[in-house]
Amino acid sequence: MKILVLNCGSSSVKFQVIETSLEMIQANADSAIAKGSVERIGMSDSRLSLEVPGRKPFQEISEILEHRTAVERILKVLVHPQHGVLGKVEEIEAVGHRMVHGGEKLASSVLVTAEVEEMIEECVVLAPLHNPHNLRGLHAAQALLGGVPHIAVFDTAFHQSMPPKAFVYGLPYEMYTRHKVRRYGFHGTSHRFVAIHTARLLKRNLEDTRIVTCHLGNGCSMAAVKQGHSIDTTMGFTPLEGLLMGTRTGDMDPAVLPWVMAMEELTLAQLNAMLNKHSGLYGVSGVSSDMRELEKACKDGNRRAKLAFDIFCYRITKYIGAYAAAMGGVDAVTFTGGIGENSAAVREQTLAGLSFLGIELDVEKNRNLPRGEEVLITTPASRVAAAVVPTNEERVIARDTVRVLGGVMPSFSLPGNEAPSS
Amino acid sequence: MSERELQHIGVIGGGMMGRSIATKVSQAGLQVVVRDLDEARVAEVKARLESSLDRQIERWAMTQSERKATLSRIVFTPDLHAAASCDLVIETIHEDFEAKRSLLAELDNLLDPSIPVIVNTSTLSITELAQGLAHPGRIVGMHFLYPVTTTRVVEVVRGQVTDNEAFEQVRKFARVLGKVPIEEFESPGFVTTRVMLPLINEAVQVVMEGVATAAEVDLCMKLGYDFRLGPLEWADRIGLHKVHNWLEHLFQETGDPKFRPCPLLRKLVRAGHHGARWGQGFFRYDEERNRLDRPADDTPQLG
Repeated sequence: MKILVLNCGSSSVKFQVIETSLEMIQANADSAIAKGSVERIGMSDSRLSLEVPGRKPFQEISEILEHRTAVERILKVLVHPQHGVLGKVEEIEAVGHRMVHGGEKLASSVLVTAEVEEMIEECVVLAPLHNPHNLRGLHAAQALLGGVPHIAVFDTAFHQSMPPKAFVYGLPYEMYTRHKVRRYGFHGTSHRFVAIHTARLLKRNLEDTRIVTCHLGNGCSMAAVKQGHSIDTTMGFTPLEGLLMGTRTGDMDPAVLPWVMAMEELTLAQLNAMLNKHSGLYGVSGVSSDMRELEKACKDGNRRAKLAFDIFCYRITKYIGAYAAAMGGVDAVTFTGGIGENSAAVREQTLAGLSFLGIELDVEKNRNLPRGEEVLITTPASRVAAAVVPTNEERVIARDTVRVLGGVMPSFSLPGNEAPSS
Repeated sequence: MSERELQHIGVIGGGMMGRSIATKVSQAGLQVVVRDLDEARVAEVKARLESSLDRQIERWAMTQSERKATLSRIVFTPDLHAAASCDLVIETIHEDFEAKRSLLAELDNLLDPSIPVIVNTSTLSITELAQGLAHPGRIVGMHFLYPVTTTRVVEVVRGQVTDNEAFEQVRKFARVLGKVPIEEFESPGFVTTRVMLPLINEAVQVVMEGVATAAEVDLCMKLGYDFRLGPLEWADRIGLHKVHNWLEHLFQETGDPKFRPCPLLRKLVRAGHHGARWGQGFFRYDEERNRLDRPADDTPQLG
């Protein structure tokens, strides 16, 4: 069957059409027959692009003022006699939607019903920058593809298996009961995909493999995946916690915040912008939030760029150690995301000090990876494996869509994992 | 009139307020046309708006890409006709009755009658400004407070003949900007200016009488009532000549002696000590308008 996958941001819609079925998933044979995006929604020069394997990429500039029009154009181009891949829109049998926040209740991918929609609405307050756009995309698709089921796949869901000791903050407990302030974690779809594929690569059972997954992209997070479940992750209440990121601080002493606010006479909005948009690799280096440019600056002898690079790698190393401890050992460390898949230097420096843990990096192999493939980067003698597995969140969303429809989608929350309600 | 989608907003007058409004409107995702008198002025307006965005970047309030996106939605032009294609027009030229009135007459001829025209004023009468226009019902008052990008409130003012559709459109516009609109009926100084001016004037009077120094008066009010700025620094930041003009205007309009400008204020204005932008008012400021002579007690305390 053909599934349309939609990922809606504030001014963009990314999409893929994936040919899939339960059997194809089993055989790892599900694949995208088209992918593309609409960028700059709300502008007079919005850009729709479409890539179909084996064809020249297609692009079209026009005014697209809202998400609904964007989805309309996507459907139109998909059935275009020359550029499209579908004979008619009705070939789409279901739509999978990426949703950032599912809160505590939405602990697995679900069929969107009125009740589910209401629950997603309730999570808007937890993810004001993401959920409203995700919902806008959902509503547009529901209006245009009313006859097919819509499935929501949440970034937070996979981490709902974390035990309370990993997700409750050391704040007064009322902050949790009143405002749902707790750690949720993000990138769950990616961590899950990468963990499953790592076990497959190692020819091991996911159920008895302990994996540290490192999703290093624009945002960066790690997860400790034990017996197929996330038991801890570096991002928390928001995607700001944990690793150093392109422009985000990651972990820091919260007492710094009121202090900086007072000293610089900052408003809450300025503080938020400082932490999310002016910090991280960019803030420390003063050079760039882009790892490629940062590595270049390091080579040119820029000391702050080197420092930013070192902080970035050091935190990952630290968390690998922490998660090995949390899982009572580790069998594999996997890298994914733009930086994780493409920066040999980051992988090398991160793993350099971990031979005590049993990780023996194959330096040459690490430096000369085939692009886009799932590969081991440790020596055959290495007790603990390290791997690179390109992430594919759209594929997971399509897979979950099929599973939900087939009634085989388990919830990620584990029994006995609830924190006290008062 | 059917509900008009707000997509294009015209801002007539590229002064400090006009630029600040244009920035805010663009940040809300709408397209903006900023019009000033001639090419030279237009170039200056653009340069100043850009440099104010640079200052925001330095203060971590904006990123380079947000700056680019903000600018991409603003068109600068000397052509008043460019406003004709807008869904709503705001005039932000200087606070002068005749100037505003003749601009409104021009706009009234130029714009489709369904397009609301916002007068940005803190003291002038909307009703009087609207008089004699072919479509006086479309004139709505709006009083933004500077800096428009961060203040959460805006006064939306109904004149005697303002019609409901225009008023509701403007109120909706305020919400699109993320502001809390306060609906007010026309009255000189509206709420914010009318309540603030006597406070400033009294603070000046206290200084003149030698009860306390300017710095002490501000410190007292700031720490005592948890004001973000003391009344005299506020006055410096508004511009003492503006404060003086407003007081003068309210005094004439109401005859109420509480609005009579304190002689010390007049004296400072005559000496050219117009406030923060000029480096000197009640206090001294550097080129970036940071106050230089802040007493040690007037610094943030933790715990």
